[in-house]
Amino acid sequence: MPSRVWLLCGLALAALVALAAGLFVGGTALSPGDVARALLHPRAGGDAVAIVWSLRAPRVALAATVGAALAVAGFLLQGMLRNPLVDPFLTGVSAGAGAAIAVGVALGIAAPFLPALGFAAGLATALGVAILARRGTGIDAERLILAGVSLSALFSAIIALALTRLGRNGSEEILAWLAGSLAGRGWSELLWTSPYIVGGLLLAALAVPALNALRLGSGIARAVGVDVARANWLLLSAATLLTAAAVALSGIVGFVGLIVPHLARRIVGSDGRYALGASLLLGVTLVPLADALSRSLFPPSEIPLGVLLAFVGVPTFLYLYLRPAGATRLWGT
Amino acid sequence: MGHLNVAAVRLSIGERTLLENVDLHVVPGRLCAIVGPNGVGKTTLLRCIAGFAEPAAGAILIDGVSVGSMPRAERARAVTLIGSDAESPQGMSVREVVLTGRFARRAWWDWTTGEADHFAADAAIERVALAPLADRSFDTLSSGERQRAWLALALAQDARTILLDEPTSHLDVRHATSVAALLRSLADEGRAVLAALHDLSEAAAIADDVALLGDGRLLAFGPADDVLEPELLERAFGIAFERARVAGAWRVFPRAPIRRNFSH
Repeated sequence: MPSRVWLLCGLALAALVALAAGLFVGGTALSPGDVARALLHPRAGGDAVAIVWSLRAPRVALAATVGAALAVAGFLLQGMLRNPLVDPFLTGVSAGAGAAIAVGVALGIAAPFLPALGFAAGLATALGVAILARRGTGIDAERLILAGVSLSALFSAIIALALTRLGRNGSEEILAWLAGSLAGRGWSELLWTSPYIVGGLLLAALAVPALNALRLGSGIARAVGVDVARANWLLLSAATLLTAAAVALSGIVGFVGLIVPHLARRIVGSDGRYALGASLLLGVTLVPLADALSRSLFPPSEIPLGVLLAFVGVPTFLYLYLRPAGATRLWGT
Repeated sequence: MGHLNVAAVRLSIGERTLLENVDLHVVPGRLCAIVGPNGVGKTTLLRCIAGFAEPAAGAILIDGVSVGSMPRAERARAVTLIGSDAESPQGMSVREVVLTGRFARRAWWDWTTGEADHFAADAAIERVALAPLADRSFDTLSSGERQRAWLALALAQDARTILLDEPTSHLDVRHATSVAALLRSLADEGRAVLAALHDLSEAAAIADDVALLGDGRLLAFGPADDVLEPELLERAFGIAFERARVAGAWRVFPRAPIRRNFSH
């Protein structure tokens, strides 16, 4: 259907505009001309070049990466579990990472090591959830949700305990992480998470054809020749890698992974091949835009990214889906 | 093509044996009905024949090849099962659902859909008379239309043996009749069709052969008119039956139906 291709082109254009907006907006006032010159002559030196290349560009790239990763992870899990209320943190990745970071802060581990610690703990938690959710060679959707919710509750309790123990010393670090923020992250974090992001996206691409069949229930999927166990493991691995990398970069940025897949399916329909691309592009659009807003609304202070996304996104979502007279379908076009 | 042989099969769920000594054969062009009380193992038997589960003992062969040993893509060409657990996806069009039947024609990671796939899907939709609804969202269809769409998926898949689990349950009499007629014509076109049915008169009308399950085993397997007779049915269901010929076909009834009060 060429019309869906055009819709994807439109979304790609919107993503480019959002990325550019992120470069032109910031706490320090720079004229559009200065920004453009700095972009074209990265070796020219001066304040503008430093601000654009070591502050704004990594922020925009980080925001785009986090948006893409969470949106795609949410899309994959919603499809795999056939449940429109699932978000990427369901598998316990964020709670496990958060608990590790809280304990790390309490033990005095240096800040640059915290993202990697969170990443490893997030993956370990998801692995534990997957082992609990196993049935035969496959994964049971209901067990996955139960295990994810239970382990998340346990780790949230550990976070709360660390916060009460720490008092004022260090709790800011944990709180900033819980609210979702890109402050203090740069090229180096982006560099070491990128293999996991790319790997997650590749696994997602492999699993998408089976995802369409899985939407008809595992019985029909098996009957038409899908290896349901393999497809579910692929989907879960892809979603986990992407979520763990995003959480390491930004802490808990809610809303994106839950809502963006819904918007994507609204725009291009429910065929996974198009909805995956649309989710990715919408994530790349929304998170850099929100990050630009968070930096520019009340400079020099930043509104936490997760907070801003929830403030803007939740009312928009409620308006779109729950307005009294309109269609209230949560899934599909 | 599509010779189904079920030989000395035993089905178990955990430690419990569900069915023993099941021997059936269905040849292309014939429609076999599986009949028996709830919980006797009709669904489990169909799932084993479709290769979803291994029987505890015995062999299930299609054209001489064991279903369990077939590679996935080859199995999808040999047999398909439209189960009663099929889910209606929201926001997916009828054509998209039917196209899913073409999954095994490509590598499992391949994103493309070819000309032949679209052609097969459209032909299948035409065949079940859903062409005017092809672009409608699947979840807006009625139960009868959905059942026809699932049949179109099986046709697009073009499996040699088609298994159906209660394809006419929950349908009104007109839709049930049209689905039953479709099943009959699929067999007449040269496929082997095996369907679990609850309506005994429907089975008598459309099936060539009937496999009667009851009491943990295959009670009878043979031509429909021989198997759907009161004595055998009573052994399977535990109630008395009567049958009568109406317009050339047997109709099967419970002998002591619940009656409303006719006194006034």
